[in-house]
Amino acid sequence: MTDAISISNAQLRFGETAALDGVSLIIPQGTCFGIVGESGSGKTTLMRAILGLQKLDQGDIRILGNPLVHSRAALKQRASFVQPIFQDPAASLSPRSRIRTLMNEVGTVLREPHAATHERLAVILNRLGLPPGFIDKYPHEISGGQARRVAIARALLMKPSILIADEPTAGLDVSVQGDLLNLLQDIRRSESITLVVISHNLAIVRLIAENAVVMRAGKVVEGGEVGALFGSPREAYTRELLAAWPGVTHVGAAD
Amino acid sequence: MAISVRNLSVDYSLPQGTAHALRGVSLDIKQGELLGLVGESGSGKSTVAFALMGLLANNAKVVSGSATIDGKSFDLTKRNATASLRGRGMAMIFQDPMLSLNPVFTIGTQLCEVLRRRAPGSDRKTRAEMAQDALDKVKLSNPKRRMEQYPHELSGGMRQRVVIAMALLSEPALLIADEPTTALDVTVEAQIMREIIGLRDRIGCAVLLITHSLGLVTEYCDAISVLYAGERLESGTVKEVQRQPGHPYTRMLFDCEVPIDRERHADATQNRFTVISGELPDPRRRPPGCIFNGRCDVSFEDCAAIHPSDYPVGTDVDHSARCLRLATP
Amino acid sequence: MNGLVATLKRICSERDGRLGLAFTCLILVFALVGPLVSPDPNAIDIKARFAAPGLAHLLGTDNLGRDLLARTSVGTRYALTLAVLIVVISSIIGSLIGIVAGVVGGWVDRAVTAVFDIVNAFPPLILAFALIALYGKGSATFVLLVTVVFIPQFGRMARARAQTLRNLSFIEAERMLAVHPFTIVVRHFLPNVAGPIIVLASMNLPVVIAFEASLSFLGFGVQPPKSSLGTLIKDGFISINQSWWPTIAAALVLAIATLGATLLGEALRRVIDPKTAGVR
Repeated sequence: MTDAISISNAQLRFGETAALDGVSLIIPQGTCFGIVGESGSGKTTLMRAILGLQKLDQGDIRILGNPLVHSRAALKQRASFVQPIFQDPAASLSPRSRIRTLMNEVGTVLREPHAATHERLAVILNRLGLPPGFIDKYPHEISGGQARRVAIARALLMKPSILIADEPTAGLDVSVQGDLLNLLQDIRRSESITLVVISHNLAIVRLIAENAVVMRAGKVVEGGEVGALFGSPREAYTRELLAAWPGVTHVGAAD
Repeated sequence: MAISVRNLSVDYSLPQGTAHALRGVSLDIKQGELLGLVGESGSGKSTVAFALMGLLANNAKVVSGSATIDGKSFDLTKRNATASLRGRGMAMIFQDPMLSLNPVFTIGTQLCEVLRRRAPGSDRKTRAEMAQDALDKVKLSNPKRRMEQYPHELSGGMRQRVVIAMALLSEPALLIADEPTTALDVTVEAQIMREIIGLRDRIGCAVLLITHSLGLVTEYCDAISVLYAGERLESGTVKEVQRQPGHPYTRMLFDCEVPIDRERHADATQNRFTVISGELPDPRRRPPGCIFNGRCDVSFEDCAAIHPSDYPVGTDVDHSARCLRLATP
Repeated sequence: MNGLVATLKRICSERDGRLGLAFTCLILVFALVGPLVSPDPNAIDIKARFAAPGLAHLLGTDNLGRDLLARTSVGTRYALTLAVLIVVISSIIGSLIGIVAGVVGGWVDRAVTAVFDIVNAFPPLILAFALIALYGKGSATFVLLVTVVFIPQFGRMARARAQTLRNLSFIEAERMLAVHPFTIVVRHFLPNVAGPIIVLASMNLPVVIAFEASLSFLGFGVQPPKSSLGTLIKDGFISINQSWWPTIAAALVLAIATLGATLLGEALRRVIDPKTAGVR
C-alpha cells in the first residue's frame, strides 16, 4: 500500500533560519500520526508544505504516491485527498459569507448539485452534533466550538482520505477539548481517514496517535511508535519535553 | 502579612444586560505561599486580578469586596482603592509581557524606573547595578547587554523574565501572575515557573497564580482555589484537594486532564478523552441553586433550589467546597 | 438593509455625525429640489443685473441678471454628480486593480505600484493642465482626470487589505478546497475590502467637490454658460466691487458641502473602520 504522505529531505530556509532542515518522514495510510514540537520547531511549516501553501527549497513530498505539484489542476486533485483543519477554525471561515454559501462552494468544486451536497452535509452535521438550522448563520454568530465543527464539516464534505489538524485543541478548555478529540478519533475510524495531528500537547498525541515524531528547530529529533517514543525516549530533548510537562501526577500512585 | 480577599463580586454592564462575572469570591494567601486560582474561560479568574489591581474595564463595577494586603485593608468597591499599592505592594505579570513593558525604552531604563519609584533617594549607578543584578537573578543570559536592549529584541520567554525582574525589584507583598506562561513553550514555561518560585523565595511574597491549567497548579502551587462561572467552588491545599476533591466539578476537572504518562491502549476505542458535558450558565441569569447544577453528575433535587455555602471537606481546616452533598453528613 | 439602518443610527449617535448628515442632506435637497423650483438659470435679464437678494431673486442676480439661486443649485447638482461619478468609478477600478496586485503579487504587484507612484508623483493641478492641453476643456476630461488621480488611493488601500487577507487562514482554507480564484476574489476578498474603501470614498467626495471648484475657478472646468460652484465664485469675485453676495452664496454652499461630506466620512470611518479612526 502506498504511504499517505512521504517526505524526504525537506529543506526550507527563511533568511538565516532553517525552518525545515532535512525532514524525512513517512505517514502510513489509515493511521493517526502525531507531529509534536515547540513553537519554531517547524511543525506548522511542515503542514503548510504538505498542503502546498509553502514551496520547499529542496526535497520531495508525495501524497498517496503523487509528487506535490504547484498547479491549479494538481491543487484541485489534491483537495479531494488532503484537507486541513487550521489552528484557529473561527478564522478559517470567511467572515462575510453565510455557512450555507461556504458549504455550497464545496459542492461547486466537486461539480455536485447543491441538493446532493446538502444531503451529505445533513449527515455530517448530525454526526458533529450541529443543529441543521444554523447553516444560515454567519461565522461570527456561532461559538468557537461550533466554528471548529463547521470547519471539520467543510473538510469532510470533500471526502478527503487525509485530514491534517493543526493544534486541534488550541484555545479550548480542558473540559471540552476531549469532545473534539473523541470526534476526530471517531471520524478517523468510521471514514478510515489518515489523521495527522500537529500539537505541542504530548499527552494528547500520546493517546490519540499510533506513531509520532518530535521536531525541534526544523529537524526531526526522534520518531516512532508512541509507546516507545514517550515511554523510553532515546533523545535528551524528548526527555526534557516530557519532564517539563506540568502534568497532574496521580497522588494515589505516589503515596 | 497574609493576603485576603473577602466577598468579591463584580458586575459587567453589557448592552444585553448585567453580567455577574464574580459572586462572593474570597481568597486567602499566606505569606510565601503560591495560590493557584484555576478556572476555565468564563470563570472570571482574570476579573479577580483586575479587580485587585484596579484595572477593571469601564463597564465593570465592583459590587462588594474588600482586601487585606500588606497589613492594610482596602474597600475594593471604591475606584482606585489599591492605587497606592501598584508597583510597590503589588506587582503583576500578564500573559503578554508587552503589556508591562514600554516598547520605546530600554530594559535597563524601565528597571531603573521601578527602583527610582521605590527608593527615590538612591543614586543612578546603584540603581543600574541593582537592575543588572535582578536580570542576573532571573537567569537572563548576558544581563549587561540586555540592559541596553529594547523589548522587541527579546523572545517571549526573555521578556517574561524581564517582567519577573521588575517584580523582583519592586519587592511586592503580593505578586499576581495572570496566565504568565500560557503563550510560552513547555520547556520555557517550566523555567519561568521556577523563576516565579525563586522570586517568592527571595522576597517572601504571596503569589496568586491565575491559570486554566490544573497541571501547572498541582506541579507548582501550595494551595488551590477552583473558580467556576464566577463562584469559588473549592479551596484547600493542592495535596488535599487532589486527594479528596470536595466538589464534583473539581473531580471532573481532574479527570479531564490527560496525564502525560497515560499509555495508549492497543484497542483504539479505549483511548477516550473525558468531557464535562453541558455549557456554562448565562452570566446574566444565574440559576437560584448550585451554579454547577445541570452539568453535575451527582446532583439531586435540592441542588436546583438551594444555593450552597462553603462546607468543610475532610479534616483539613483549610479545605472547603461549595456543594450541598457536603452539608448532610 | 438592517446594516444600513444600524450604521445610520450609530452615525447619528455623535454630534459630528449628526452635523455631517444634516449638512449633507441640506446640500442634497438644495441640489435636487433647487433647479426644479427656481427659474431658468441661463435666462439673461440685463435690466436686473446685480439685483440684491429679494422676493424675485432669492439670492439676487449676477452681472447678466441671471438668477443666482438657480445657478448655484444647478452648479451644486453638477458638482455632486461629478463627485459621485468620479468616486464610484475610481473606487471600483482602484479596488479591482489593488486586489489583483495584492493577490497575485510578484512583478504584477511591482508594476502596479510603480504606476501608482508615477501618477501620484504629479501634482493634480499640473496633471490637470497637461490633460486639458491634450484633450481640451470639458466635463469628460475632468472626470477622466480626477478618476485617474484617485485610482491609486483606492488601489493602494485595496492592495494593502488584500495582502493581509491573502495570508489569513480563511483565504487559505478556500484555496485548499480548490475554490476557483475568481470566486475567492469576488466572494471573499471584495466584501472584506469594501468597508475601508467605502469610507475612503466618502472622505474623497469633498476633495473632488473642492477640486472641481478650483479647476472651474481657474477656468479649466465647466464652460459658460453652464454654471458650477467654481465659476460662480470666480464671476462673483470679478464683480465683487459691484455686489458681494454671489461669491458669498456659492462659497457658503461649497463650504457646507465639503464640511458635511467630510464630517459624514469621518463618522462613517469611526463606525465601519474603528481601527484607523482617530488618525486624522
